[in-house]
Amino acid sequence: MTDANHTTPSPTQPPISALALTAPVAMGYIPLGTVFGFLFVQAGGAWWLAVAASVVVFAGAAQYMMIPMIAAGLSTGTIALATLIVNLRHVFYGLSLLNKLPHRPLLRWYLIFGLTDETYSVLTTLPEGTRASKMVLIAALNQGWWVLGTLLGAVIGAQAKVTLVGLDFALASLFCVLTVEQWRARTSALPLWTALLTYAVAYPLSPAHAMVTAIALSVATAIVVHRMKEGEKS
Amino acid sequence: MMECRYILGVVAAMGVVTFGLRALPFVAGRWLAKHPLVHKLGAFLPLTIMTLLLLNTVVGAATEHSGGPWMEISAVAVVAVLQWFIRNALLSILLGTCLYAVLRNVMV
Repeated sequence: MTDANHTTPSPTQPPISALALTAPVAMGYIPLGTVFGFLFVQAGGAWWLAVAASVVVFAGAAQYMMIPMIAAGLSTGTIALATLIVNLRHVFYGLSLLNKLPHRPLLRWYLIFGLTDETYSVLTTLPEGTRASKMVLIAALNQGWWVLGTLLGAVIGAQAKVTLVGLDFALASLFCVLTVEQWRARTSALPLWTALLTYAVAYPLSPAHAMVTAIALSVATAIVVHRMKEGEKS
Repeated sequence: MMECRYILGVVAAMGVVTFGLRALPFVAGRWLAKHPLVHKLGAFLPLTIMTLLLLNTVVGAATEHSGGPWMEISAVAVVAVLQWFIRNALLSILLGTCLYAVLRNVMV
């Protein structure tokens, strides 16, 4: 998810083509999209719905998460809330790109739509004054790799009927990768301890609602910590 | 076969929520950037939420069978170590998932 960080162009070199910039992303998106398409079809979904999800939603972790949820027939509202939680981090990505995105509405809104973890990390490495068309091309290529992988996986999954237990652990693995990367970028260890403690409190209360309860407790903790630091300053 | 209209509804709802989150800073960015609490939450919450998602998924997987959580713990440890040192997301996810699938199919 972070391979793109290694392609940072230095100002003295000629600009790297959009295709080359998205190559490391393609190496992750095609196989991971394939896994998504495969699991989706194996869970009983139609192949074109898997592709529709990759075109309309375009968010890896949320798409992996939706498979067991739709297989269990959970309500649309429940799945929307879970999507909100999984993708909340994206709110904070945009803040650092406010002045970097193009102003032409169509280009701007497509880039915002396509702002996945990987596209974000590629865009942040681009030098100042990169053309809008190149930024859009990067986002579109990245989504193309993701949709292509999904299509491949859906086709394979529709042919092969292997019922192998445990492949859905791909979601846990993906969350683990993202946790490690958030840990690498941390400014303190407190957010991790807060997560462990709030979950330990929330789970015995109600295993089914442990996630939402723990997030509410964590937000409250973050606000209290913020207020305490403010208090120290004044 | 899962119901088509239901899935289309879910996909549409997820699309709207995801796009809304990605668009929020561009619509309300000036307002958000002014508030120190937003920056604090931005530094704090992503690691917290990702840790909670990992915990919740692992606990969910471990309660699906009666073998104890050691398979989940081993697989997560492998993913974390690979990602920390080699930093190739695809490699970490594929090896961790394969190890888990092998453990689940052989051991239980």
